[in-house]
Amino acid sequence: MLKVRNLSKRFDKVQAVDNVSFEVEPGEIAVLLGPNGAGKTTTIKSIAGLLRFEGQILINSIKNKEVEAKRVFGYIPESPSFYENLTVWEHLEFIARAYSLRDWEDDAGRLLARFEMDDKKDKLGKELSKGMQQKLSICCALLIKPKMVMFDEPMIGLDPTAIKELKSIFVELKSSGCAVLISTHLIDSVDEVWDKVLIMNKGKIVLIRTRSELDSKGESLERIFFEVIGKKEEGEE
Amino acid sequence: MRALLFLIRKNLKNIIKLAFKRPMALIGYIIALIFLVLMIVAAFAMPSGLVRTSSPELFRGIVMLVFAFFYYTSLKLGIEKGSSYFRMADVNLVFTSPLRPNQVLLYGFIRQLWGTMLFVFLALCQIPNLKNNFALQPYGVPMLLISVVAYTLSYPLISMVIYSWTSVKKERKMLMKRIFDAAAIAVALVFLLDLVRTRDFGQSLGNTFDSPVVHYFPVIGWTGSIASSAVYGFNAPFYVGAAGMLVLIIGLSLLIYRMKLDYYEDVMAATEYAEQIIKAKREGKNIAQFLKTRKNVHGSLSGEGAKALFAKNMLEIRKTSIFLFFDRMSVSVILSSIMFRLIMPSQELGGFSLLLILAMSSYMLLLFQVQGRWVAEAEKHFIYLVPASSYEKLFFATLSDHLKNLFDGIALFMLSGIFFNAGAPTILLCILTYVAFGAVYMYADVLSRRLFGSVHSKSLMIFVKIIFSVVLIVPGIIAAAFVGAITKSEFFTIGALGAWAFVLAITLFIFSGGIFNNLETAS
Repeated sequence: MLKVRNLSKRFDKVQAVDNVSFEVEPGEIAVLLGPNGAGKTTTIKSIAGLLRFEGQILINSIKNKEVEAKRVFGYIPESPSFYENLTVWEHLEFIARAYSLRDWEDDAGRLLARFEMDDKKDKLGKELSKGMQQKLSICCALLIKPKMVMFDEPMIGLDPTAIKELKSIFVELKSSGCAVLISTHLIDSVDEVWDKVLIMNKGKIVLIRTRSELDSKGESLERIFFEVIGKKEEGEE
Repeated sequence: MRALLFLIRKNLKNIIKLAFKRPMALIGYIIALIFLVLMIVAAFAMPSGLVRTSSPELFRGIVMLVFAFFYYTSLKLGIEKGSSYFRMADVNLVFTSPLRPNQVLLYGFIRQLWGTMLFVFLALCQIPNLKNNFALQPYGVPMLLISVVAYTLSYPLISMVIYSWTSVKKERKMLMKRIFDAAAIAVALVFLLDLVRTRDFGQSLGNTFDSPVVHYFPVIGWTGSIASSAVYGFNAPFYVGAAGMLVLIIGLSLLIYRMKLDYYEDVMAATEYAEQIIKAKREGKNIAQFLKTRKNVHGSLSGEGAKALFAKNMLEIRKTSIFLFFDRMSVSVILSSIMFRLIMPSQELGGFSLLLILAMSSYMLLLFQVQGRWVAEAEKHFIYLVPASSYEKLFFATLSDHLKNLFDGIALFMLSGIFFNAGAPTILLCILTYVAFGAVYMYADVLSRRLFGSVHSKSLMIFVKIIFSVVLIVPGIIAAAFVGAITKSEFFTIGALGAWAFVLAITLFIFSGGIFNNLETAS
């Protein structure tokens, strides 16, 4: 569903992403782990079509910047921003129009109810707290029923109920055949749901493992993460 | 495109609906609307050139200088950060949606047209002044406004193209910056050489821009020629300028969305920067935090309790100013005040040159100080925790601003004093009055926050603060006018104004104490 081939991105003298390749299959939850500044957000923004890059990114076998590719993926940014003078419901209506969705109202209502936002329909963008903004951002991305969805640090600002709800949404997306890419540095938050881990450090993917590979060796996600990141640092010294 | 039109429509509808829900905001909007209508009526209806008819060359010199300044500053910022018609909500929701980038750009254009309203409004405010001094053509006002629209539409496009070219290599950035600076220095040199010859500021300003090369010079010359048609009529430079700007705007738009669909990255940095500025302005914060900070400035903080606030502010100033307290604000206040005096015809001023400079600089100070440093202090929790009285905290949190005003005042009035042969007592009085005015604006700002803190819209709050300050200083202006009429002395006129400002500043300080008792008194 998502194919990233030799992705590189340079900002002036900083090589933010360096020759990164990976794939996320339908019904798979891939987790992009890495310390701050590893290049996770740049990778996600490149896939979302917001940055120019070297290499190739295909979504559903279509180049990621094509309109038809954009039709099938959802994106939850690290810092959600909304139109200050549009209500929660009007944001969803805009998404429905932009993606030419039909009969979207019931789905939108259900999504808002899941995140306890159904009583906030008439709240304006500027009246939303950080947590509510994050919830609306998730609702907007899921309303389009994406075939691939990217979450950039999705847990930040969410309350425990919403975190629990989001985890069950990850599992539902997976069982519906959606490819899910989650970027985070909070290992615990994704420990129960991941299928494939991509560990990034200093712009490179330093390790790719599936859950079964890790389980067969009896290793934990946290341990392997610190092993890989730690080793890299030692090697440099 | 229908989805994007939905966004624009809903946005407008909700702004209007929201205004009706908040009576305070509605009153503010109505006052602003009445003001705007009055400005439009005055701009179109008032007769032109009745007070005096200055030369068309001076008019062209002024408009060319203004556009050259705006293009220079906005395009130089464009080299660093690009330019954007968009907001972060567009980046997150529109850029990632299946809408064609050319439609998205068109949507950005429509939004920018709304943004041009602010510039048009600012231009409208200058028209009565221009009509008093120049004989404008019957269609002069629309021509001036069209030139403003041409500027506001073209500079983001040019910035986007420049940024996409320069962002690839640092050398290109440097090259573009040097070209811009060299052009600015060349213009300044031409002007100064002419000034040495004529010894007349207005005439030299006119002469500098009175050449076919300038009239037909791409972008700046074209925009200036459209504006100059307000006095010269529809001449060849106007037709070339209008056609040039039309071709430029359409051509660059086509270039961006036909030749290079991938412009999203080019607008991201500028969008993020604009978002920060908008957020800061809305929250009433000083945008000085976005100025470049020098990291090599070190120094331990001195003073204890509330005095530590002063030491911290001084360290911040050292990190962002050019030299001591000298920063962009100093440049703007000093240059605009002296230029204002130079452009005004001297025979009508008698010996009141410094008073005029004081009036202009105090007006500029009002605009700059409306979002003072103390506001940023009130947004953070530290000041409430400092174990000192609220008066002490208010005094020390604002002391660095007083010193900055003193520094700017000394620079401005020493310079103008030498320039216009003023006596030392008058210069000293001007400096003190300038500082007192700064204190009035600052503490009027504090007091209005205490009185009207519940006003939801920060833009409206700024408007309220300006009106509040103006209302407070009006009695002082009337008193000074009386003193001036009776004594015919600049010294006593400034003295009357300064005395009023001083008493007012002390009174306002006393009433605004308590602001830092707790968060609620400041919010």
